[in-house]
Amino acid sequence: MTPRTRKILEFVLDNLVWFMLLFVLAIFSIFVPNYFQLGIFANIIEASSVLGVMSIGLALVIITGHMDLSVESVAALGAMAVGILFCSAGIGMGLQLRPEWLMVPVSILVAVAVGGAVGLLNGVLIVKVRMNAFIITLAAYIWVRGLVVAVSGGRSAQDLAPAIRWFGIQRILGLPLTAWIAIACFVVFSLIMAKTPFGRHLVMIGGNETATFRAGIRVTRNLIIAFVLAGAIAGLAGWLLAVRTSGATANLGVGLLFNAFAAVVIGGVSLKGGVGSLSGVYAGVLLLSSINTAINLMGLPANFTQVIHGLLVLAAVLLDTLKQTIRQKLA
Amino acid sequence: MSEPLLVLEDITKKYGAIEALRGVSFSIAKGEVVALLGDNGAGKSTLVKIISGGLEPTSGRMLFEGKEFLAKTPAEAKAAGIETVYQDLSLCTNVDVVANFFMGREITRRVLGVPVLDEKAMEAVVGKALANAGTRIPSLRTKVEHLSGGQRQAIELNRFVHWGGKLVLLDEPFAALGVEQTRRGLEMIRQVARQGIGVVIITHIMQQAFQVADRIVVIRQGVVAGDVPTDKTSPDAVVAMITGEVLAGAGPAAQGQKRGPAQEERTT
Repeated sequence: MTPRTRKILEFVLDNLVWFMLLFVLAIFSIFVPNYFQLGIFANIIEASSVLGVMSIGLALVIITGHMDLSVESVAALGAMAVGILFCSAGIGMGLQLRPEWLMVPVSILVAVAVGGAVGLLNGVLIVKVRMNAFIITLAAYIWVRGLVVAVSGGRSAQDLAPAIRWFGIQRILGLPLTAWIAIACFVVFSLIMAKTPFGRHLVMIGGNETATFRAGIRVTRNLIIAFVLAGAIAGLAGWLLAVRTSGATANLGVGLLFNAFAAVVIGGVSLKGGVGSLSGVYAGVLLLSSINTAINLMGLPANFTQVIHGLLVLAAVLLDTLKQTIRQKLA
Repeated sequence: MSEPLLVLEDITKKYGAIEALRGVSFSIAKGEVVALLGDNGAGKSTLVKIISGGLEPTSGRMLFEGKEFLAKTPAEAKAAGIETVYQDLSLCTNVDVVANFFMGREITRRVLGVPVLDEKAMEAVVGKALANAGTRIPSLRTKVEHLSGGQRQAIELNRFVHWGGKLVLLDEPFAALGVEQTRRGLEMIRQVARQGIGVVIITHIMQQAFQVADRIVVIRQGVVAGDVPTDKTSPDAVVAMITGEVLAGAGPAAQGQKRGPAQEERTT
């Protein structure tokens, strides 16, 4: 094998999800009527912004070899905090700030801080007290959702302040600002993971925690930061959710966790830790979203989405095994 | 030999009722190579972990460069200048050779105030270090999981040679190496010692110890059973120390060793 073909093959393997996405989009464009439109593609990107942002945090923690089941509930809590403060109808308090634009950074800060706080608690319990990540975050998944229901009394907040709503309506190049925020998050966190010592350390911790500890990397600190980041990003996803729905309900975002897991696995992140890139995760999110869109356009009952998502996760895992075999031959 | 670099005084380590170390005392000078020998379970690896910051001793004290020293974490030991090559390799197989070489000490440059990995600079350094040591790895960008056991061990060895520090601990560094690579490895150790770095090497292979070490320290059942200059002893005598039948001229015996300054009077 020449170095050139080897390089090309490595490139294809590294970005396999993107090729799958292109393939699926091509197939749908050919066979599903009305699929091939810019508006549809814009819609796919728009619909994947909340899930996308949430998946970043989840992927981050999984790459370090841990787990965060709480992201979905944390997002709901972030959304509810923003909803209660800045909505004017329902349980909203209708908080007003002058000048109006000030509400945007303040609401984002609230959502991110709420998420970060839950993440910090998770991180400390898991890393410092050495409890199992699965159990701790499962508990958080339950109690945080409970908190959302308790705080809202099961009711909803509507009519989000227009200054914040603006993000869901204003478009640049045909995409709403919320979608751009998601894309920006992917770019920023991909750079952090690939180019900074912090990101490199997270990947190495996921690969061999003992080795990184012996090498003098501050494993505990890095892991807690990863959990805080996952919580904070989930909070941001909640903010996006509040903007999209112009408020918050007690059951906002239920079921997103499993889609996020699917996206992360399809995106090539190994649940064993240490393997995966955020660009792949974004492709995974877009892949799920484009399949949803196709199902809608074909007029199939929405229940099929779940079946297809499940099969897709299976296919992704099988593909991952295949990829490993090919890589072994390459080396 | 010059002044002692590291002095261990009556180090003990208990795991519950089990005494892994029952009072170990010896010292290492700058530029000296000490071979640490002993049977399985004699406490060699425990001792290495105490010096390198993975374990805390139950009692006893250490002097490093004349100052009281106790590393709570490997990071602290590293900061003081102690490098360790562990028996089970400390490599992250999911990243490439360069990332492993620089684990925890990445070269960065600032872009808008944010530290960014300088991959080119790191790759150049690794390329040079491996070439100097005669290690051949097809691509420095290959993930370590795709490399052979020998190649992995070579990376670890080259890493310690490159970073040096003041004291190097090697816990069975040649277990996966071939004949030629072992020869190079032993050469590397001598080369490192010539730079004034103290080296402690744990090995099971008598021949290696005699090839490379200035002094041989034998640990038996958690105490120093012998501490002799390599040129004043023989493999047979060392074997006897390891197994417990002490011969004349083999150095201080295990008994009277625990709180005795006897071994300090060794000939140098």
